[in-house]
Amino acid sequence: MNRKGAITSVKAVFNALIAAFSVLCIFPILWVMYSSLKTQQQFSVNILSLPTSFHFQNYVTAFWNGKLYRYLGNSAFVSATSVVLTILIGFITGYFLSRFSFKGRNVLYTMFLFGMLVPVYGLLVPLFIEYRNLHLLDHRLSLVLPEVTFALPLVIFLIESFMKSIPIEMEEAAYVDGASLVSTLFRIVFPMCRPVLSTCIIISFLNIWNEFPFALILINTQELKTIPVGLTNFVGQYTVNYPQLMAGIVVSILPVILVYLLLYKRIIQGMVAGAVKG
Amino acid sequence: MGKKLSTPRLTTIYSFLLPGILVYAFIVFIPLLLSIYFSFYKWNGGLSKDFIGFHNYSQLIRDAKFWFSFRNNMIITVLSIVGQLGIAFVLAVILQAKWVRLREFHRTVLFLPVVLPAVVVGFIWNLIYSQNYGILNGVLKGLHLQSWIHPWLDDPKIVIYSVTIPIIWQWIGLYLIIFMASLQSIPSEVYESAEMDGATGVKKVWFITLPMMRDTLGVAVMLCISGNMKIFDNIFVMTGGGPGISSTVMAQYAYNTSFGQFKLGYGSAISIGMIIISLGLILLSRRLMGGRSVEP
Repeated sequence: MNRKGAITSVKAVFNALIAAFSVLCIFPILWVMYSSLKTQQQFSVNILSLPTSFHFQNYVTAFWNGKLYRYLGNSAFVSATSVVLTILIGFITGYFLSRFSFKGRNVLYTMFLFGMLVPVYGLLVPLFIEYRNLHLLDHRLSLVLPEVTFALPLVIFLIESFMKSIPIEMEEAAYVDGASLVSTLFRIVFPMCRPVLSTCIIISFLNIWNEFPFALILINTQELKTIPVGLTNFVGQYTVNYPQLMAGIVVSILPVILVYLLLYKRIIQGMVAGAVKG
Repeated sequence: MGKKLSTPRLTTIYSFLLPGILVYAFIVFIPLLLSIYFSFYKWNGGLSKDFIGFHNYSQLIRDAKFWFSFRNNMIITVLSIVGQLGIAFVLAVILQAKWVRLREFHRTVLFLPVVLPAVVVGFIWNLIYSQNYGILNGVLKGLHLQSWIHPWLDDPKIVIYSVTIPIIWQWIGLYLIIFMASLQSIPSEVYESAEMDGATGVKKVWFITLPMMRDTLGVAVMLCISGNMKIFDNIFVMTGGGPGISSTVMAQYAYNTSFGQFKLGYGSAISIGMIIISLGLILLSRRLMGGRSVEP
Protein backbone atom coordinates (compact mmCIF):
# COMPACT_ATOMS: atom_id res chain seq x y z
CA MET A 1 0.00 0.00 0.00
CA ASN A 2 2.76 2.41 0.98
CA ARG A 3 4.60 2.29 -2.32
CA LYS A 4 1.39 2.43 -4.27
CA GLY A 5 0.17 5.35 -2.16
CA ALA A 6 3.43 7.15 -2.73
CA ILE A 7 3.18 6.69 -6.49
CA THR A 8 -0.40 7.95 -6.50
CA SER A 9 0.57 11.08 -4.62
CA VAL A 10 3.57 11.68 -6.90
CA LYS A 11 1.21 11.46 -9.85
CA ALA A 12 -1.16 13.89 -8.18
CA VAL A 13 1.67 16.34 -7.56
CA PHE A 14 2.78 16.21 -11.19
CA ASN A 15 -0.77 16.59 -12.46
CA ALA A 16 -1.16 19.61 -10.24
CA LEU A 17 2.14 21.05 -11.45
CA ILE A 18 1.15 20.81 -15.10
CA ALA A 19 -2.26 22.23 -14.34
CA ALA A 20 -0.63 25.15 -12.51
CA PHE A 21 1.47 25.99 -15.54
CA SER A 22 -1.52 25.81 -17.85
CA VAL A 23 -3.37 28.19 -15.57
CA LEU A 24 -0.37 30.55 -15.56
CA CYS A 25 -0.46 30.55 -19.34
CA ILE A 26 -4.16 30.97 -19.88
CA PHE A 27 -5.28 33.01 -16.89
CA PRO A 28 -3.74 36.36 -17.90
CA ILE A 29 -5.46 36.05 -21.28
CA LEU A 30 -8.80 35.11 -19.74
CA TRP A 31 -8.43 37.88 -17.17
CA VAL A 32 -8.01 40.44 -19.94
CA MET A 33 -11.00 38.97 -21.77
CA TYR A 34 -13.52 39.01 -18.95
CA SER A 35 -12.28 42.25 -17.40
CA SER A 36 -12.81 43.96 -20.74
CA LEU A 37 -16.54 43.61 -20.11
CA LYS A 38 -16.48 45.54 -16.84
CA THR A 39 -16.87 49.24 -16.29
CA GLN A 40 -13.87 51.07 -14.96
CA GLN A 41 -15.54 51.41 -11.61
CA GLN A 42 -16.36 47.70 -11.30
CA PHE A 43 -12.78 46.94 -12.21
CA SER A 44 -11.25 49.23 -9.62
CA VAL A 45 -13.38 47.75 -6.85
CA ASN A 46 -12.08 44.25 -7.46
CA ILE A 47 -9.57 43.56 -10.21
CA LEU A 48 -10.07 39.78 -10.20
CA SER A 49 -13.83 39.36 -9.90
CA LEU A 50 -15.95 38.27 -12.85
CA PRO A 51 -18.13 40.94 -14.42
CA THR A 52 -21.65 41.02 -13.02
CA SER A 53 -23.09 42.63 -16.11
CA PHE A 54 -21.72 42.84 -19.62
CA HIS A 55 -20.49 46.27 -20.53
CA PHE A 56 -20.10 46.04 -24.31
CA GLN A 57 -19.61 49.80 -24.62
CA ASN A 58 -15.84 49.22 -24.24
CA TYR A 59 -15.87 47.30 -27.49
CA VAL A 60 -17.85 49.91 -29.35
CA THR A 61 -15.43 52.57 -28.16
CA ALA A 62 -12.37 50.53 -29.03
CA PHE A 63 -13.63 49.60 -32.44
CA TRP A 64 -14.97 52.99 -33.58
CA ASN A 65 -13.57 55.81 -31.43
CA GLY A 66 -10.23 54.03 -31.03
CA LYS A 67 -10.18 53.47 -34.82
CA LEU A 68 -9.24 49.82 -34.38
CA TYR A 69 -11.50 48.93 -37.32
CA ARG A 70 -9.17 50.86 -39.58
CA TYR A 71 -6.03 49.16 -38.26
CA LEU A 72 -7.71 45.78 -38.58
CA GLY A 73 -8.59 46.57 -42.17
CA ASN A 74 -5.02 47.62 -42.94
CA SER A 75 -3.64 44.49 -41.30
CA ALA A 76 -6.06 42.35 -43.29
CA PHE A 77 -4.98 44.02 -46.53
CA VAL A 78 -1.24 43.78 -45.83
CA SER A 79 -1.56 40.18 -44.60
CA ALA A 80 -3.66 39.01 -47.52
CA THR A 81 -1.44 40.60 -50.16
CA SER A 82 1.76 39.42 -48.49
CA VAL A 83 0.51 35.88 -47.91
CA VAL A 84 -0.51 35.46 -51.56
CA LEU A 85 2.88 36.68 -52.77
CA THR A 86 4.74 34.62 -50.18
CA ILE A 87 2.95 31.44 -51.16
CA LEU A 88 3.45 32.04 -54.87
CA ILE A 89 7.15 32.84 -54.63
CA GLY A 90 7.76 30.29 -51.90
CA PHE A 91 6.04 27.52 -53.80
CA ILE A 92 7.96 28.10 -57.02
CA THR A 93 11.29 28.55 -55.24
CA GLY A 94 10.75 25.53 -53.00
CA TYR A 95 9.80 23.42 -55.99
CA PHE A 96 12.87 24.29 -58.03
CA LEU A 97 15.21 23.90 -55.07
CA SER A 98 13.92 20.43 -54.28
CA ARG A 99 13.40 18.98 -57.77
CA PHE A 100 16.40 20.14 -59.73
CA SER A 101 20.10 20.25 -59.14
CA PHE A 102 21.66 23.19 -60.90
CA LYS A 103 24.53 25.58 -60.64
CA GLY A 104 24.13 27.87 -57.66
CA ARG A 105 21.39 25.79 -56.03
CA ASN A 106 23.22 25.31 -52.74
CA VAL A 107 24.19 28.96 -52.54
CA LEU A 108 20.56 29.96 -53.02
CA TYR A 109 19.35 27.43 -50.48
CA THR A 110 21.80 28.69 -47.89
CA MET A 111 20.86 32.27 -48.72
CA PHE A 112 17.19 31.66 -48.07
CA LEU A 113 17.85 29.78 -44.85
CA PHE A 114 20.23 32.53 -43.79
CA GLY A 115 17.12 34.69 -43.75
CA MET A 116 15.85 32.66 -40.81
CA LEU A 117 19.04 33.24 -38.85
CA VAL A 118 19.95 36.83 -39.62
CA PRO A 119 18.65 39.01 -36.81
CA VAL A 120 16.04 40.85 -38.84
CA TYR A 121 15.98 43.74 -36.42
CA GLY A 122 19.47 44.61 -37.60
CA LEU A 123 17.75 45.47 -40.87
CA LEU A 124 15.43 48.06 -39.32
CA VAL A 125 17.68 51.05 -39.85
CA PRO A 126 19.15 49.88 -43.19
CA LEU A 127 15.72 49.20 -44.65
CA PHE A 128 14.40 52.52 -43.42
CA ILE A 129 17.28 54.32 -45.17
CA GLU A 130 16.68 52.45 -48.41
CA TYR A 131 12.93 53.09 -48.32
CA ARG A 132 13.45 56.75 -47.57
CA ASN A 133 15.87 57.24 -50.43
CA LEU A 134 13.50 55.56 -52.84
CA HIS A 135 10.45 57.39 -51.43
CA LEU A 136 8.71 54.13 -50.60
CA LEU A 137 7.82 55.00 -47.02
CA ASP A 138 4.26 55.42 -45.88
CA HIS A 139 2.37 53.65 -48.61
CA ARG A 140 -0.35 51.04 -48.40
CA LEU A 141 2.06 48.57 -50.01
CA SER A 142 5.23 49.59 -48.15
CA LEU A 143 5.05 46.66 -45.78
CA VAL A 144 4.35 43.95 -48.32
CA LEU A 145 7.87 43.16 -49.52
CA PRO A 146 9.50 43.08 -46.05
CA GLU A 147 6.72 40.82 -44.76
CA VAL A 148 7.12 38.52 -47.76
CA THR A 149 10.87 38.35 -47.24
CA PHE A 150 10.66 37.38 -43.60
CA ALA A 151 7.91 34.85 -44.21
CA LEU A 152 9.62 33.26 -47.22
CA PRO A 153 12.35 31.12 -45.63
CA LEU A 154 9.89 29.04 -43.60
CA VAL A 155 7.58 28.55 -46.57
CA ILE A 156 10.43 27.60 -48.90
CA PHE A 157 11.73 25.16 -46.36
CA LEU A 158 8.36 23.54 -45.66
CA ILE A 159 7.59 23.15 -49.35
CA GLU A 160 11.06 21.93 -50.19
CA SER A 161 10.90 19.17 -47.60
CA PHE A 162 7.31 18.27 -48.49
CA MET A 163 8.27 17.86 -52.15
CA LYS A 164 10.76 15.20 -51.13
CA SER A 165 7.88 13.09 -49.87
CA ILE A 166 5.80 13.13 -53.05
CA PRO A 167 6.74 10.83 -55.92
CA ILE A 168 8.24 12.28 -59.02
CA GLU A 169 6.26 10.04 -61.43
CA MET A 170 3.26 12.34 -61.82
CA GLU A 171 5.41 15.17 -63.04
CA GLU A 172 7.37 12.85 -65.30
CA ALA A 173 4.17 11.61 -66.87
CA ALA A 174 3.00 15.17 -67.42
CA TYR A 175 6.24 16.13 -69.11
CA VAL A 176 6.12 13.02 -71.28
CA ASP A 177 2.62 14.05 -72.35
CA GLY A 178 4.11 17.33 -73.43
CA ALA A 179 2.81 19.56 -70.63
CA SER A 180 4.80 22.74 -70.12
CA LEU A 181 6.71 23.51 -66.94
CA VAL A 182 4.20 26.16 -65.90
CA SER A 183 1.13 24.01 -66.39
CA THR A 184 2.75 21.05 -64.63
CA LEU A 185 3.69 23.33 -61.79
CA PHE A 186 0.24 24.77 -61.26
CA ARG A 187 -2.10 22.03 -62.54
CA ILE A 188 -0.34 19.04 -61.03
CA VAL A 189 2.17 19.94 -58.32
CA PHE A 190 0.27 22.80 -56.70
CA PRO A 191 -2.85 20.71 -55.92
CA MET A 192 -0.68 17.92 -54.53
CA CYS A 193 0.94 20.38 -52.13
CA ARG A 194 -2.38 21.50 -50.69
CA PRO A 195 -1.77 20.22 -47.14
CA VAL A 196 1.61 21.88 -46.77
CA LEU A 197 0.40 25.01 -48.53
CA SER A 198 -2.37 25.48 -46.02
CA THR A 199 0.12 25.15 -43.16
CA CYS A 200 2.27 27.76 -44.92
CA ILE A 201 -0.67 30.11 -45.34
CA ILE A 202 -1.69 29.91 -41.69
CA ILE A 203 1.78 30.40 -40.27
CA SER A 204 2.74 33.22 -42.63
CA PHE A 205 -0.56 34.87 -41.84
CA LEU A 206 0.11 34.71 -38.08
CA ASN A 207 3.65 36.04 -38.42
CA ILE A 208 2.65 38.86 -40.75
CA TRP A 209 -0.40 39.83 -38.69
CA ASN A 210 1.78 40.07 -35.57
CA GLU A 211 4.78 41.82 -37.12
CA PHE A 212 5.64 45.02 -35.29
CA PRO A 213 9.02 46.74 -35.79
CA PHE A 214 8.91 47.17 -39.57
CA ALA A 215 5.32 48.34 -39.43
CA LEU A 216 6.48 50.82 -36.79
CA ILE A 217 9.22 52.47 -38.82
CA LEU A 218 7.99 52.17 -42.42
CA ILE A 219 4.51 53.59 -41.85
CA ASN A 220 3.90 56.98 -40.36
CA THR A 221 0.40 57.94 -41.47
CA GLN A 222 -2.26 57.12 -38.91
CA GLU A 223 -4.63 55.88 -41.64
CA LEU A 224 -2.20 53.21 -42.86
CA LYS A 225 -1.02 51.67 -39.61
CA THR A 226 -1.46 47.96 -38.94
CA ILE A 227 -3.00 46.56 -35.80
CA PRO A 228 0.09 46.00 -33.58
CA VAL A 229 1.23 49.60 -34.12
CA GLY A 230 -2.31 50.95 -34.05
CA LEU A 231 -2.88 49.19 -30.76
CA THR A 232 0.09 50.98 -29.20
CA ASN A 233 -1.51 54.29 -30.22
CA PHE A 234 -4.80 53.19 -28.78
CA VAL A 235 -3.17 52.15 -25.51
CA GLY A 236 -1.43 55.51 -25.37
CA GLN A 237 -4.82 57.23 -25.54
CA TYR A 238 -6.60 55.21 -22.90
CA THR A 239 -3.87 54.49 -20.35
CA VAL A 240 -6.06 55.10 -17.33
CA ASN A 241 -9.12 53.12 -18.34
CA TYR A 242 -8.05 49.50 -17.93
CA PRO A 243 -11.18 47.66 -19.10
CA GLN A 244 -11.17 49.90 -22.16
CA LEU A 245 -7.55 48.96 -22.88
CA MET A 246 -8.38 45.32 -22.43
CA ALA A 247 -11.23 45.55 -24.93
CA GLY A 248 -8.75 46.96 -27.45
CA ILE A 249 -6.33 44.14 -26.75
CA VAL A 250 -9.06 41.54 -27.20
CA VAL A 251 -10.20 43.05 -30.50
CA SER A 252 -6.66 42.93 -31.84
CA ILE A 253 -5.94 39.33 -30.86
CA LEU A 254 -9.33 37.82 -31.57
CA PRO A 255 -8.49 36.92 -35.20
CA VAL A 256 -5.25 35.26 -34.09
CA ILE A 257 -6.92 33.32 -31.29
CA LEU A 258 -9.75 32.12 -33.54
CA VAL A 259 -7.31 30.92 -36.18
CA TYR A 260 -5.29 29.18 -33.49
CA LEU A 261 -8.24 27.42 -31.87
CA LEU A 262 -9.50 26.19 -35.23
CA LEU A 263 -6.17 25.03 -36.60
CA TYR A 264 -3.83 24.54 -33.66
CA LYS A 265 -2.61 21.10 -34.72
CA ARG A 266 -1.35 22.40 -38.05
CA ILE A 267 0.12 25.54 -36.53
CA ILE A 268 2.06 23.68 -33.84
CA GLN A 269 3.35 21.14 -36.32
CA GLY A 270 4.46 23.71 -38.89
CA MET A 271 6.05 26.11 -36.44
CA VAL A 272 8.05 23.36 -34.80
CA ALA A 273 9.28 22.02 -38.14
CA GLY A 274 10.35 25.52 -39.12
CA ALA A 275 11.94 26.34 -35.79
CA VAL A 276 14.03 23.18 -35.69
CA LYS A 277 15.29 23.84 -39.20
CA GLY A 278 16.28 27.41 -38.43
CA MET B 1 16.74 11.64 -52.69
CA GLY B 2 17.00 9.27 -55.60
CA LYS B 3 16.23 10.34 -59.10
CA LYS B 4 15.78 13.79 -60.47
CA LEU B 5 13.67 15.11 -63.27
CA SER B 6 15.54 16.08 -66.38
CA THR B 7 16.75 19.54 -65.59
CA PRO B 8 15.43 22.50 -67.59
CA ARG B 9 17.83 25.05 -68.98
CA LEU B 10 19.62 27.16 -66.43
CA THR B 11 18.08 30.36 -67.76
CA THR B 12 14.60 28.84 -67.38
CA ILE B 13 15.32 27.86 -63.80
CA TYR B 14 16.65 31.26 -62.90
CA SER B 15 13.79 33.11 -64.53
CA PHE B 16 11.46 31.22 -62.19
CA LEU B 17 13.67 31.88 -59.19
CA LEU B 18 14.13 35.53 -60.07
CA PRO B 19 11.21 36.97 -58.05
CA GLY B 20 12.45 35.35 -54.84
CA ILE B 21 16.02 36.45 -55.45
CA LEU B 22 14.99 40.01 -56.28
CA VAL B 23 12.79 40.40 -53.22
CA TYR B 24 15.59 39.07 -51.08
CA ALA B 25 18.16 41.36 -52.63
CA PHE B 26 15.88 44.35 -52.22
CA ILE B 27 14.95 43.73 -48.58
CA VAL B 28 18.09 42.09 -47.19
CA PHE B 29 21.23 42.60 -49.25
CA ILE B 30 20.89 46.12 -50.64
CA PRO B 31 19.90 47.57 -47.26
CA LEU B 32 22.84 45.77 -45.67
CA LEU B 33 25.24 47.20 -48.23
CA LEU B 34 23.68 50.64 -47.85
CA SER B 35 24.07 50.57 -44.13
CA ILE B 36 27.68 49.44 -44.39
CA TYR B 37 28.18 52.45 -46.65
CA PHE B 38 26.42 54.87 -44.30
CA SER B 39 28.20 53.45 -41.28
CA PHE B 40 31.33 55.23 -42.56
CA TYR B 41 29.59 58.60 -42.46
CA LYS B 42 28.43 61.02 -39.87
CA TRP B 43 24.92 61.54 -41.12
CA ASN B 44 21.74 62.76 -39.51
CA GLY B 45 19.46 61.98 -42.41
CA GLY B 46 19.84 65.34 -44.09
CA LEU B 47 21.51 66.21 -47.38
CA SER B 48 25.02 66.65 -46.04
CA LYS B 49 27.08 63.83 -44.65
CA ASP B 50 30.74 63.62 -43.64
CA PHE B 51 32.98 60.69 -44.39
CA ILE B 52 34.60 59.68 -41.12
CA GLY B 53 36.04 56.26 -41.96
CA PHE B 54 35.94 53.79 -39.11
CA HIS B 55 35.16 56.42 -36.53
CA ASN B 56 31.61 55.11 -35.93
CA TYR B 57 33.00 51.66 -35.29
CA SER B 58 35.72 52.80 -32.92
CA GLN B 59 33.06 54.80 -31.12
CA LEU B 60 30.83 51.73 -31.01
CA ILE B 61 33.57 49.63 -29.43
CA ARG B 62 33.97 52.23 -26.69
CA ASP B 63 30.24 52.93 -26.35
CA ALA B 64 29.30 51.94 -22.81
CA LYS B 65 25.58 52.20 -23.59
CA PHE B 66 25.86 49.78 -26.47
CA TRP B 67 27.68 47.21 -24.36
CA PHE B 68 25.21 47.76 -21.57
CA SER B 69 22.37 46.91 -23.95
CA PHE B 70 24.30 43.90 -25.18
CA ARG B 71 24.69 42.85 -21.56
CA ASN B 72 20.91 43.11 -21.20
CA ASN B 73 20.45 40.88 -24.25
CA MET B 74 22.80 38.39 -22.63
CA ILE B 75 20.98 38.48 -19.29
CA ILE B 76 17.69 37.83 -21.06
CA THR B 77 19.27 35.05 -23.12
CA VAL B 78 20.79 33.25 -20.14
CA LEU B 79 17.61 33.55 -18.09
CA SER B 80 15.62 32.29 -21.07
CA ILE B 81 17.89 29.32 -21.62
CA VAL B 82 17.52 28.37 -17.97
CA GLY B 83 13.86 29.34 -17.61
CA GLN B 84 12.32 28.46 -20.96
CA LEU B 85 14.33 25.37 -21.74
CA GLY B 86 14.38 24.18 -18.12
CA ILE B 87 10.66 24.54 -17.53
CA ALA B 88 9.81 23.27 -21.01
CA PHE B 89 11.98 20.21 -20.49
CA VAL B 90 10.43 19.32 -17.13
CA LEU B 91 6.91 19.84 -18.47
CA ALA B 92 7.67 17.80 -21.59
CA VAL B 93 8.97 14.87 -19.53
CA ILE B 94 5.90 14.96 -17.28
CA LEU B 95 3.50 15.31 -20.22
CA GLN B 96 5.03 12.17 -21.71
CA ALA B 97 3.51 10.09 -18.92
CA LYS B 98 0.31 8.28 -19.82
CA TRP B 99 -1.36 9.09 -16.50
CA VAL B 100 -1.30 12.86 -16.99
CA ARG B 101 -4.84 14.10 -17.44
CA LEU B 102 -5.93 16.41 -20.26
CA ARG B 103 -2.61 16.20 -22.11
CA GLU B 104 -4.01 17.57 -25.36
CA PHE B 105 -5.59 20.46 -23.47
CA HIS B 106 -2.35 21.34 -21.66
CA ARG B 107 -0.38 21.21 -24.90
CA THR B 108 -2.81 23.54 -26.65
CA VAL B 109 -2.98 25.99 -23.78
CA LEU B 110 0.77 26.09 -23.17
CA PHE B 111 1.41 26.83 -26.83
CA LEU B 112 -1.20 29.59 -27.10
CA PRO B 113 1.06 32.50 -26.01
CA VAL B 114 3.47 31.64 -28.85
CA VAL B 115 0.98 32.81 -31.47
CA LEU B 116 0.13 36.09 -29.72
CA PRO B 117 1.77 39.28 -31.00
CA ALA B 118 4.74 40.15 -28.77
CA VAL B 119 3.30 43.66 -28.45
CA VAL B 120 0.14 42.28 -26.89
CA VAL B 121 2.14 40.08 -24.54
CA GLY B 122 3.92 43.25 -23.45
CA PHE B 123 0.64 45.05 -22.82
CA ILE B 124 -0.86 42.14 -20.92
CA TRP B 125 2.16 42.05 -18.64
CA ASN B 126 2.05 45.81 -18.21
CA LEU B 127 -1.40 45.24 -16.76
CA ILE B 128 -0.19 42.36 -14.60
CA TYR B 129 2.68 44.45 -13.22
CA SER B 130 0.62 47.58 -12.75
CA GLN B 131 1.16 49.29 -9.41
CA ASN B 132 -2.44 49.64 -8.25
CA TYR B 133 -4.51 47.46 -10.55
CA GLY B 134 -2.12 44.66 -11.47
CA ILE B 135 -2.75 41.00 -10.69
CA LEU B 136 0.73 40.53 -9.28
CA ASN B 137 0.52 43.17 -6.59
CA GLY B 138 -3.10 42.16 -6.00
CA VAL B 139 -2.09 38.58 -5.30
CA LEU B 140 0.78 39.68 -3.07
CA LYS B 141 -1.59 41.88 -1.11
CA GLY B 142 -4.00 38.98 -0.79
CA LEU B 143 -1.22 36.82 0.64
CA HIS B 144 -0.28 39.60 3.09
CA LEU B 145 3.11 39.99 1.46
CA GLN B 146 2.87 43.79 1.22
CA SER B 147 6.63 44.09 1.65
CA TRP B 148 7.12 42.24 -1.66
CA ILE B 149 5.10 44.76 -3.61
CA HIS B 150 7.32 46.58 -6.07
CA PRO B 151 7.09 49.08 -8.87
CA TRP B 152 8.09 46.18 -11.13
CA LEU B 153 8.76 48.20 -14.24
CA ASP B 154 10.01 51.39 -12.61
CA ASP B 155 12.79 50.08 -10.42
CA PRO B 156 16.04 50.16 -12.45
CA LYS B 157 17.49 47.38 -10.33
CA ILE B 158 14.88 44.77 -11.17
CA VAL B 159 13.33 45.99 -14.41
CA ILE B 160 15.47 43.79 -16.64
CA TYR B 161 14.16 40.73 -14.80
CA SER B 162 10.60 42.02 -14.94
CA VAL B 163 10.77 42.32 -18.73
CA THR B 164 12.37 38.88 -19.07
CA ILE B 165 9.52 37.02 -17.39
CA PRO B 166 6.98 37.78 -20.15
CA ILE B 167 9.52 36.61 -22.73
CA ILE B 168 9.99 33.34 -20.89
CA TRP B 169 6.23 33.05 -20.42
CA GLN B 170 5.53 33.52 -24.11
CA TRP B 171 7.98 30.98 -25.51
CA ILE B 172 7.87 28.01 -23.12
CA GLY B 173 5.23 26.43 -25.36
CA LEU B 174 7.46 26.37 -28.43
CA TYR B 175 10.26 24.51 -26.66
CA LEU B 176 7.76 22.24 -24.93
CA ILE B 177 6.47 21.04 -28.28
CA ILE B 178 9.96 20.68 -29.73
CA PHE B 179 11.02 18.60 -26.73
CA MET B 180 7.87 16.48 -26.80
CA ALA B 181 8.47 15.64 -30.44
CA SER B 182 12.03 14.68 -29.65
CA LEU B 183 11.02 12.59 -26.60
CA GLN B 184 8.60 10.60 -28.71
CA SER B 185 11.41 9.59 -31.02
CA ILE B 186 13.36 7.88 -28.23
CA PRO B 187 12.62 4.16 -28.63
CA SER B 188 10.85 2.68 -25.62
CA GLU B 189 13.19 -0.35 -25.60
CA VAL B 190 15.94 1.91 -24.31
CA TYR B 191 13.88 2.72 -21.24
CA GLU B 192 12.79 -0.88 -20.78
CA SER B 193 16.33 -2.20 -20.69
CA ALA B 194 17.30 0.60 -18.32
CA GLU B 195 14.45 -0.37 -16.04
CA MET B 196 15.70 -3.93 -16.01
CA ASP B 197 19.03 -2.56 -14.85
CA GLY B 198 17.15 -0.86 -12.03
CA ALA B 199 17.04 2.72 -13.28
CA THR B 200 14.06 4.76 -12.12
CA GLY B 201 12.52 8.23 -12.39
CA VAL B 202 15.15 10.92 -12.24
CA LYS B 203 17.94 8.48 -13.12
CA LYS B 204 16.22 7.55 -16.35
CA VAL B 205 15.86 11.21 -17.28
CA TRP B 206 19.47 12.01 -16.42
CA PHE B 207 21.17 9.01 -18.02
CA ILE B 208 18.91 8.34 -20.98
CA THR B 209 16.56 11.17 -21.88
CA LEU B 210 19.09 14.00 -21.65
CA PRO B 211 21.88 12.32 -23.65
CA MET B 212 19.40 11.10 -26.27
CA MET B 213 18.07 14.65 -26.68
CA ARG B 214 21.48 16.26 -27.03
CA ASP B 215 20.93 17.42 -30.59
CA THR B 216 17.49 18.82 -29.88
CA LEU B 217 18.79 20.67 -26.85
CA GLY B 218 21.52 22.14 -29.02
CA VAL B 219 18.99 23.39 -31.55
CA ALA B 220 16.84 24.80 -28.74
CA VAL B 221 19.76 26.71 -27.22
CA MET B 222 20.58 28.16 -30.62
CA LEU B 223 16.97 29.21 -31.20
CA CYS B 224 16.94 30.79 -27.79
CA ILE B 225 20.08 32.79 -28.54
CA SER B 226 18.95 33.96 -31.96
CA GLY B 227 15.49 34.81 -30.64
CA ASN B 228 16.77 36.85 -27.73
CA MET B 229 19.42 38.74 -29.67
CA LYS B 230 16.61 40.32 -31.66
CA ILE B 231 14.25 40.93 -28.79
CA PHE B 232 12.47 44.27 -29.19
CA ASP B 233 8.66 44.38 -29.41
CA ASN B 234 7.63 43.56 -25.86
CA ILE B 235 10.32 45.66 -24.21
CA PHE B 236 9.48 48.54 -26.53
CA VAL B 237 5.90 48.61 -25.32
CA MET B 238 6.63 47.74 -21.68
CA THR B 239 9.39 50.18 -20.80
CA GLY B 240 10.77 51.62 -24.02
CA GLY B 241 14.14 50.60 -22.60
CA GLY B 242 13.74 52.60 -19.40
CA PRO B 243 13.86 53.76 -16.74
CA GLY B 244 16.95 55.50 -18.09
CA ILE B 245 18.60 52.80 -20.13
CA SER B 246 18.16 50.05 -17.55
CA SER B 247 16.11 47.75 -19.81
CA THR B 248 17.52 48.82 -23.18
CA VAL B 249 18.47 45.99 -25.53
CA MET B 250 20.55 46.28 -28.72
CA ALA B 251 17.61 46.64 -31.11
CA GLN B 252 16.07 49.29 -28.88
CA TYR B 253 19.39 51.15 -28.72
CA ALA B 254 19.71 51.10 -32.52
CA TYR B 255 16.12 52.32 -32.74
CA ASN B 256 16.63 55.16 -30.25
CA THR B 257 19.87 56.28 -31.87
CA SER B 258 18.43 56.22 -35.37
CA PHE B 259 14.88 57.42 -34.87
CA GLY B 260 15.10 59.28 -31.57
CA GLN B 261 18.27 61.25 -32.22
CA PHE B 262 18.32 60.72 -35.97
CA LYS B 263 21.96 59.68 -36.02
CA LEU B 264 21.52 57.41 -39.01
CA GLY B 265 25.24 56.89 -39.66
CA TYR B 266 25.90 55.72 -36.15
CA GLY B 267 22.62 53.79 -36.11
CA SER B 268 23.84 51.88 -39.17
CA ALA B 269 27.08 51.03 -37.40
CA ILE B 270 25.11 49.75 -34.41
CA SER B 271 22.95 47.61 -36.71
CA ILE B 272 25.99 46.10 -38.38
CA GLY B 273 27.58 45.50 -34.97
CA MET B 274 24.39 43.82 -33.79
CA ILE B 275 24.25 41.51 -36.79
CA ILE B 276 27.91 40.52 -36.42
CA ILE B 277 27.53 39.83 -32.70
CA SER B 278 24.35 37.77 -33.12
CA LEU B 279 25.66 35.71 -36.01
CA GLY B 280 28.92 35.20 -34.11
CA LEU B 281 27.09 33.94 -31.04
CA ILE B 282 24.86 31.66 -33.10
CA LEU B 283 27.82 30.13 -34.90
CA LEU B 284 29.72 29.79 -31.62
CA SER B 285 26.83 27.99 -29.95
CA ARG B 286 26.52 25.75 -32.97
CA ARG B 287 30.20 24.88 -32.69
CA LEU B 288 29.98 24.27 -28.92
CA MET B 289 26.85 22.18 -29.16
CA GLY B 290 28.30 20.17 -32.00
CA GLY B 291 24.84 20.43 -33.48
CA ARG B 292 24.18 19.70 -37.11
CA SER B 293 24.83 22.46 -39.55
CA VAL B 294 22.25 23.48 -42.12
CA GLU B 295 22.69 20.89 -44.85
CA PRO B 296 21.66 21.99 -48.30
